[in-house]
Amino acid sequence: MNIRKILATLLAGAMIFSIAGCNSNTNTGDTAPATDESATDAGNEADTTSGEKPYIAIVSKGFQHQFWQVVKKGADQAALDLNVDITFDGPPSESDIAIQVDMLKSAMDKQPAAIALAALDTESVKEQLEACLNNNIPVVGFDSGVPGAPEGSIYATASTDNAAAAAIAAQMLYENTDFKAKLDAATADAPIAVGVLSQDATSESVVSRTTGFIDKLVELVGDENVKVSGHDKYAKDAASAKLLIVVNVPATTSATDLKTSAESLLATSGLAAIYGSNEAAATGMLTASNDGSEFNSENGKFGEIIAIGFDAGKTQRVAVENGWFYGSVTQDPYQIGYQAVKLAVDAINGVPAASEIVDTGAQWYNAENLTDPSILELVYD
Amino acid sequence: MVNSEKKGPDIQKLLAPAALVILYIFFCVFGQNFFSGSTLVSILDSTYYVGLMAFGITFVIVTGGIDLSIGTNMMMSALLGGYMLANGANIWLCLVCMVAIATVIGFINGTLISRLKLPPFIATLGVMMMTQGFGSIITRVQTQRFPSSFDENGAYKTIFYKTANGFPSGIVYMLVFFVVALVLLKKTRIGRYTYAIGSNEEAVRISGVNTIKWKTLVYVICGFFCGLASIVYAATYTTIIPGTGNGLEMNAIAAVIIGGTSMSGGVGTMSGTLIGALLMSVLKTGLMSMGLQGHYQTFFTGLVVILAVLLDIYRNKRAARV
Amino acid sequence: MSQMQQSPMILQMLDIDKRFQGVHALNKTKLELRQGEVHALVGENGAGKSTLMKVLTGIYTADSGTILYNGEPVSFSGPKEAQEAGISIVHQELNLMNHLTAAQNIFIGRESKGFFLNDNTINGETQKLFDRLKLSFSPTNKVSSLTVGKQQMVEISKALSFNSNILILDEPTAALTDAEIHELFKTIQELREKGVTIVYISHRMDEIMEITDRITVMRDGQYIVTLNTSGTNLDEIINAMVGRTIYEEPKTASNVAPGTPVVLEVKGLRSREVKDVSFQLHRGEILGLAGLMGAGRTETARLIFGADPRDGGEIYKDGEKLNIHNPSDAVAAGIGYLSEDRKRYGLAFDLSVADNSVLAVLEKFTHSGFVNEGEIQETTDKYVRRINIKTPSIFQKVSKLSGGNQQKVIVAKWLIKDCDILIFDEPTRGIDVGTKSEIYKLMNELAAEGKSIIMISSELPEILRMSDRVVCMCEGRLTKILDIQDASQEIIMKYATQRN
Repeated sequence: MNIRKILATLLAGAMIFSIAGCNSNTNTGDTAPATDESATDAGNEADTTSGEKPYIAIVSKGFQHQFWQVVKKGADQAALDLNVDITFDGPPSESDIAIQVDMLKSAMDKQPAAIALAALDTESVKEQLEACLNNNIPVVGFDSGVPGAPEGSIYATASTDNAAAAAIAAQMLYENTDFKAKLDAATADAPIAVGVLSQDATSESVVSRTTGFIDKLVELVGDENVKVSGHDKYAKDAASAKLLIVVNVPATTSATDLKTSAESLLATSGLAAIYGSNEAAATGMLTASNDGSEFNSENGKFGEIIAIGFDAGKTQRVAVENGWFYGSVTQDPYQIGYQAVKLAVDAINGVPAASEIVDTGAQWYNAENLTDPSILELVYD
Repeated sequence: MVNSEKKGPDIQKLLAPAALVILYIFFCVFGQNFFSGSTLVSILDSTYYVGLMAFGITFVIVTGGIDLSIGTNMMMSALLGGYMLANGANIWLCLVCMVAIATVIGFINGTLISRLKLPPFIATLGVMMMTQGFGSIITRVQTQRFPSSFDENGAYKTIFYKTANGFPSGIVYMLVFFVVALVLLKKTRIGRYTYAIGSNEEAVRISGVNTIKWKTLVYVICGFFCGLASIVYAATYTTIIPGTGNGLEMNAIAAVIIGGTSMSGGVGTMSGTLIGALLMSVLKTGLMSMGLQGHYQTFFTGLVVILAVLLDIYRNKRAARV
Repeated sequence: MSQMQQSPMILQMLDIDKRFQGVHALNKTKLELRQGEVHALVGENGAGKSTLMKVLTGIYTADSGTILYNGEPVSFSGPKEAQEAGISIVHQELNLMNHLTAAQNIFIGRESKGFFLNDNTINGETQKLFDRLKLSFSPTNKVSSLTVGKQQMVEISKALSFNSNILILDEPTAALTDAEIHELFKTIQELREKGVTIVYISHRMDEIMEITDRITVMRDGQYIVTLNTSGTNLDEIINAMVGRTIYEEPKTASNVAPGTPVVLEVKGLRSREVKDVSFQLHRGEILGLAGLMGAGRTETARLIFGADPRDGGEIYKDGEKLNIHNPSDAVAAGIGYLSEDRKRYGLAFDLSVADNSVLAVLEKFTHSGFVNEGEIQETTDKYVRRINIKTPSIFQKVSKLSGGNQQKVIVAKWLIKDCDILIFDEPTRGIDVGTKSEIYKLMNELAAEGKSIIMISSELPEILRMSDRVVCMCEGRLTKILDIQDASQEIIMKYATQRN
């Protein structure tokens, strides 16, 4: 029993030492105080002289959709071009906030030179951001970035201006002659509806694209003419609205729920158009319409309804190609990935950020311009 | 004593179908646009794969076991099928392989539980995680796509999901295998042993029946139905995303419980499971038609499951007092 | 009962010997059955009846001896083989699948060949069996809807479906109502008329007298005698059951002086197994609690100790009513219980002698949250010496001690807690002879010091040696309280088997 007690005390002592060691410097694993001197080693400079490539940990929002795979492609290329090592990881689905926090923590444990993050929920990672700030690990945002992050914790963000991108969709819808006609004919007693399918109501990108679309449409049609319903976050009342915007956020991100939500919107009376604010939402619209074919204006079940999507993916591209979707807005996921790594390298090298946001751009694509090579390369499979 | 017991189970048997009808009528009245052909088709669409998984796992639950891997098993099989297709295999071969793969996973579960005596919860939890990862590993986390109905190989959709006119052929597919499952459970040796093992496994073993073999077969059947489900899932949703499937098993299990099968084993019917699956789809679609957002759906589905389990416990207590 | 002497021997078990880890379970015992008779097998708890049956059906293999079945030597590898040969046993705990019907239960594993089941066939076969036994219920009834009596009939039918020649019934009437017992006896008659031989294992003397032809008595693993039921009586049977020579001197008089105060009184204790039990315990007395398995003695003790909830009754200590709802209430009142299953209820096997001893009073050794190891060791040493616990050190894990010393550790636990009423449940079970007398010595010392003891035991010599008075119980009822000078093995057994 006594030997056990001694061992237990030693073990406890060792643990306390290692915890103290970890906190006081950015060292890995060593418990003996003698290694304090190497504290300045990792963390600040891109140590090209020692021959070791700097390591950047990239934590994305998800892994599910093709979108992220293209982001990864861009990041991989940048890593090659700029001679750095990267890891690219993401939670299994975009509702797994806790898993992303864990991934971020493990990324930090690896003592990277920098971190690139697309946060599912900024509040949940605030602690980790503070820690990175204190340990001089620069954090770069990408895609939806880290909105509302503590002052100075994010170097810069490579992302799409989501609100602007969504506004494009609203603008194109408004300019559609069929839609215009319906809108003009509508009255407060016989309003028309526009459905908005959003994957969630928490992530910045989806929220921006929802509000961006709604705000632009409201601006174009006139504030007093539009009523928004369907989700508390986007509610807006208007006494005599002739345009009803109905928002639907499914219970989970499962294929079934997205499809059911799409079907629900498609069944809304007086529906003139439907808009999906990301690839998942667009997929929901596609599965609810036999992969888009039911939007066929000639004899499709939903031929009268104007469908607009977001991002890409093979099925969506086919739908746009065939004219079933009026068009979609695509981001440049390749650039997002590429710029994220580039910004990280700049941060490592101590280059001051040129601007807070590096806009990686968005494009409207439809059946006509899909053949354009510059558009085609953005529309991934 | 014999006569009075007869009334008990009959009332229980009617509860689930009654609830289904009442719920449907309720939503027709209070929901927007609920009473329509397209809504009915929508309800059916989301029932196919859950129903088939539920048929398979009914066997498992009647023996007193559980299988948490059915969701990810189905997904993995669909993923691998899509992967084979992308690499040039014939679509029908892919579909057959999907069923085969899922059945093999069922066999693995059965061996772990029956022969190696792992507790079902643990064994299938491990297999669940493994299949979830395996699918992603093989496909390198790339989304797999099946042909659309207007594509070259789109014929499979007509058979397993919907015809060009919008007739939900998926229901035929599901009903055919419903009957198969029903007959298996009620009229064959495997069905009899399923109930017997669930009632008192030791007594069955003492009677000289090879319980290891038969219990393994139960899990194989469960895997087989996951394979069937993967076909209709692919036909319905076209796009298969890796790393998903986790959580779908809960819908299937909930359907089985609502339908009157007891988690303690020995009791359950296939028709109950079918009703349970339909009930959940009606609930989900109905709540949405009332304008209630997603969170309400999950809340009420959970509530229904708890009520069903409470009913099950109450029913067992009454039986024990006899 | 008809004379069966002329019908042939269907089974002969001769010179069967079996040892288990030093316990001589069967000592050159024998059993001979004539075809078509109803043959009772009686004996005290531990006499070897079920062991003998297990040897017959192949669950155990005898160390030596022969089994002749229809004149041929046999040796079955397991119950299934025995069943197929025509020897079936219906256990006390039924092996049925409650959710299936009677017919499905009977024919499980023997359904018709072919992919689809045809219940009509098995229902028909089952109906035939039921007709043979003149049973009134249907093969399609679910077993869960049948009464225990009818469930037993299903088991019997199942045994018959194997064309059993020998049917062993183990305590068949324990869970039956009188009406059901009547039905069972009718069935037994039917079977006898069809030439089936029945082995009837039971403690119920009245039933044995009514239904059986011959009675074989076993005692301590040995064959004692076979009697013709019609020619014998209860006393003779009981004598055979318990008539061993006792080597120790039984107590001749109580050590408790008249007028000694009553330290514990229980009135009208009631639960499912205990039916209105009342008795008193005097200071310094050792009260023996005798009876057969199922008598309700342990259940009574557990009610006193608060381990089981009681439906009714009161417990008084030193004249004051106690409010016992759980063991901690009992312990707080100074009552300690040494259960018969040391492993499950007595000791924390991975802990040391010291830790176990202070288990009930840890708060005495805890000061401001910290446990004082020094005090614990001191106290444990004291008691180890006092009750002579043989252990290399007080830090030894109790799992390494012998059974007797483990028992002593439990005693130490209650003594350290200052319990003055101790309930010993089968105190010397599984303990070697040498340590047994040490335990006896310890109990006597405790009594002399003024502690009061209730001792539950199935060993009659032990009861006679230690008790000042003996409480006899039978099937949950208290049948008699005897002063030690009025007690003998036969008298105790008589009251232990008195069912009314």
